[in-house]
Amino acid sequence: MEYDIVIGLEVHAELKTESKVFCSCKNQFGAEPNTNCCPVCIGLPGALPVLNKKAVELVIKAGLTIDSQINNIAVFERKNYFYPDLSKAYQISQLVKPICVGGHLDLQNKSVKINRIHLEEDAGKLTHQSENIGTLIDYNRGGVPLMELVTEPNINSADEAVEFLTKLRERLIFADIAECKMEQGGMRCDVNISIKPKGSNILGNRTEMKNLNSFKSVHRAIEYEVKRQIEAKEQGKEIIQETRKWDDEAGISYTMRKKETSQDYRYFPDPDLLAIEISDEEVEAIRKTLPLLPEQLKEKYVNEYKLTEYDANIITKDKYLISYFEEVCAHYNNPKTVANWILTEILSKIKDEDEPIIKISPLKLAEILSLIENGKITRTIAKEIFTKVWENDSDVDKLAKELGGEINEDYLCNLIDKIITSNPKAVADYRTSDTPEKQLKWFVGQIMKETKGKANAKLAEEKILEILNKTQG
Amino acid sequence: MKKIDFIEAKRLASLSALDFSEEELNAFVPEFEKILDMVEQIKNCNTENVDLTYSTHKLKDLREDKSKVGMSQDEVLLNSPKSKKGCFVVPQMLED
Amino acid sequence: MEFEKFTLLEIVNMLKNKTVSSEQLTKYFISKIEEKKSLNAVLEVFDDAINLAKEADKKIQAGENGKLLGVPVIIKDNILYKGKKCTCSSKFLKDYIAQYNSTVVEKILQEGGVIIGRANMDEFAMGGSTENSAYGITHNALDFDRVPGGSSGGSAVAVAGGLCPVSLGTDTGGSVRQPCSYNGIVGIKPTYGRISRYGVVAFASSLEQVGPMTKTVKDNAYMLQILSGKSINDETSADIPVEDYLSQIKGQINGLNIGVCKEVMQMMSGLEVEKIFLQVLEWLKSNGANLIDVSLPNFDLCLPCYYIIAPAEATSNLGRFDGIKYSTRSDKAENVDQIYTKSRSEGFGKEVKRRIMLGNFVLSSGYFDAYYNKAKKIQIKLKEQAKDIFKKCDVLLFPTTASEAFKLGSKTDPVSMYKEDMFTITANILGIPSLTLPFAKGKSNLPLGLQIMANNFEEGKIYNLADYIENNWRWK
Repeated sequence: MEYDIVIGLEVHAELKTESKVFCSCKNQFGAEPNTNCCPVCIGLPGALPVLNKKAVELVIKAGLTIDSQINNIAVFERKNYFYPDLSKAYQISQLVKPICVGGHLDLQNKSVKINRIHLEEDAGKLTHQSENIGTLIDYNRGGVPLMELVTEPNINSADEAVEFLTKLRERLIFADIAECKMEQGGMRCDVNISIKPKGSNILGNRTEMKNLNSFKSVHRAIEYEVKRQIEAKEQGKEIIQETRKWDDEAGISYTMRKKETSQDYRYFPDPDLLAIEISDEEVEAIRKTLPLLPEQLKEKYVNEYKLTEYDANIITKDKYLISYFEEVCAHYNNPKTVANWILTEILSKIKDEDEPIIKISPLKLAEILSLIENGKITRTIAKEIFTKVWENDSDVDKLAKELGGEINEDYLCNLIDKIITSNPKAVADYRTSDTPEKQLKWFVGQIMKETKGKANAKLAEEKILEILNKTQG
Repeated sequence: MKKIDFIEAKRLASLSALDFSEEELNAFVPEFEKILDMVEQIKNCNTENVDLTYSTHKLKDLREDKSKVGMSQDEVLLNSPKSKKGCFVVPQMLED
Repeated sequence: MEFEKFTLLEIVNMLKNKTVSSEQLTKYFISKIEEKKSLNAVLEVFDDAINLAKEADKKIQAGENGKLLGVPVIIKDNILYKGKKCTCSSKFLKDYIAQYNSTVVEKILQEGGVIIGRANMDEFAMGGSTENSAYGITHNALDFDRVPGGSSGGSAVAVAGGLCPVSLGTDTGGSVRQPCSYNGIVGIKPTYGRISRYGVVAFASSLEQVGPMTKTVKDNAYMLQILSGKSINDETSADIPVEDYLSQIKGQINGLNIGVCKEVMQMMSGLEVEKIFLQVLEWLKSNGANLIDVSLPNFDLCLPCYYIIAPAEATSNLGRFDGIKYSTRSDKAENVDQIYTKSRSEGFGKEVKRRIMLGNFVLSSGYFDAYYNKAKKIQIKLKEQAKDIFKKCDVLLFPTTASEAFKLGSKTDPVSMYKEDMFTITANILGIPSLTLPFAKGKSNLPLGLQIMANNFEEGKIYNLADYIENNWRWK
């Protein structure tokens, strides 16, 4: 039998704020245990939450990137359960009135419907050490702002799931909403999977897959789970609605030991927090801060900047490359040349780096490009300067004087004079020739030979013409 | 009509993370029943036209996103029954 | 000198005029606590109290100011004072040391107050007799065989028994007013949000407020002004300017519109307090006030709504006591699940467990709409009804309790204990301010309290009427 695969995603992303969502402790990864903590985030008696404005704004922003409706009133609720990483025995989250409702994210071949995005607090971190030591609890992460995006179950393959996640991640990073560092748990994903006979409307029991730490494991886990469910079905076994944990190393998933009997979370509005009123004006103001999305930028680069499709594609793949490109262009108004340099010189330098850092400031690259354009230096010199700046962050002007100093205009003119005087035959040929361009090229060649290629050919040609025309009469 | 029985009381105890002996629970049920009888009066009140409302504040008035230094690790762990390596400690949990 | 005979305002002046030092006063009240140890009102006298008093004296000598400079204060044992024990009268928190200051403690310290000790209470503020304390029962200041009321029983007895000039209680359903009534003193539950709850161990967050407990109305007005105001640590604290409440006391009530609630009159019928309540109404009328008949149609539902909303919030608020971060861990626990269940089962007392169970019942799936949401909707209805009342009148009069303080150990049935709150709970459900002052004696010659309520943030109107009654109504 053939089956339809039905997948829904729950994606968590830690928001890029300075402080936590309900207290002023630092939102920071990797600090010493329990050093970014206060009465609120370790759940001391009497402590009260105070909501961070930026966290709300970032969730609104996230909603706007996927065309969500922003609720005018958003309410926080308590989700009650006991677990040692949860200091208050409840997580502040949103159920009935989340900040964002609905929306969609378009993939190559389909539009994935979004159910909601809400704001909640992250839990602390447990480290399971050993029988002797026990499990350690660190509340530094407790209270870090977390957005949870829930899709409708209208994703139908592992490929689509990964495409969705890749696109979503790109947008969140782009709009400065979240850094989505998967390896630090900055973006996490749970996958709900079920199958049904092709064309049927009756959904099968779904399983929820947890512990998916990379897009690759999302893909593998879905393929594995679909296969498992189909096999079970074919053998006439029932698919049990359960939570399963993915073991990436073994490439299998298994039923989670933790019993899910206490799934009764007893949500109710948190009496310590007021509901938030969000005005349409505030939403519009946030909309204005949205950057162009990669697709929109690509269009702009091709249509306005006249970049090739290929070049635009590569630049818009990376947020940092985009901002670098834009900044160079702000100082040097020839996007095509800038793109060329980025694609050749810069990318070749960083392509093998683990953490690609462009070690030349946009301003300095713009300076170099301007020097070329003004004929102050040749491309060859420019590349030499570029390399030196990359290595030592040297001063561009100084280098230009050092390396390109010999062939400044005066020197060039003197050289031309000398060549013209010592080659009267060539001058005569030039004046009588039907193809003076060819003779002209000969002069330029001589200049390049004398300067070992360091002269600016274009400038040299201009100057030769000028001098020849002057000496004519 | 009985509103609560032994099984229901057990479920509530589990949600509450409380242990009761059988006798305790048996004594609890009729007591609880009485409280629920009192509380039950609300059923006769018509609330059909009442919408739940919330106390609100405006987005612009929320706390600015500025971090402050919190407590030191020692202060955090001051009352902990057990701590190690700067962390609260519980017996080793099964990983999952 | 017998310093317990003086009011708070008198003591403030005596300190200012240097007729007495803070050290003298503090030592005096500490000796009183010792002398009346059998009342079991105060759980602990803080060992730095005398030192703090000496420091206050230095400041007085240096001419510094502070509205409470040098004044001994006692706080209820659910209010955090950094570095001091805070047990909520629970075995579970027997070793808990406060890691930060509550806003109210901060305010008292800023004004130079000397916090000398913490007072007994019903465990986690759940109860109406201070019989639910892991540290023993507290006795009524006026009759040793009777309850002091609760849950702020210790705080009330501390003032009524002459152990301090002013104390703090907390009031979730009447926990300041009922013990004040039973001990013949003045106490207020301010408008919800008037005082920050930051650092006050939460029982039912949406209903409770800290309230000052004093000998006189003016003392109370003075103290409320010190405690009030918006706190950046509490979203639910109100950003509304704090009034000078003393200046609102005008000494006359001409033309004051006093609401008399039909449903309350019906409820009072046959109760001990009824006769004298009617007399005071007549007297007020003859002194220039207008009596206005009003109705709070769903008055009878305040009590059931309270016993849904309060336990629901309590269940969640008390989840954090788990034997992991603080609170005593059961030594029988071998794994995490057992840390939760054994620690909590050993740590919490019976009434607390009962309310946690009740809270989980009304919140759990299948019951949530029928109980919690329904109660919240009725609360909204009640608030609408109250709005209509305060369109017509300035204040609303209720008795505080049905009768005098009852005998220790005489109320064992939870429901009859819950009904203790039937007149006080209204103000918590509505969020409005409510003050109690003694206005009569009952058949055993023990005090009865009169409750004055007003619209949100109109404490000034309450103090004016209360002061008038205190000074002009003859009953003692």
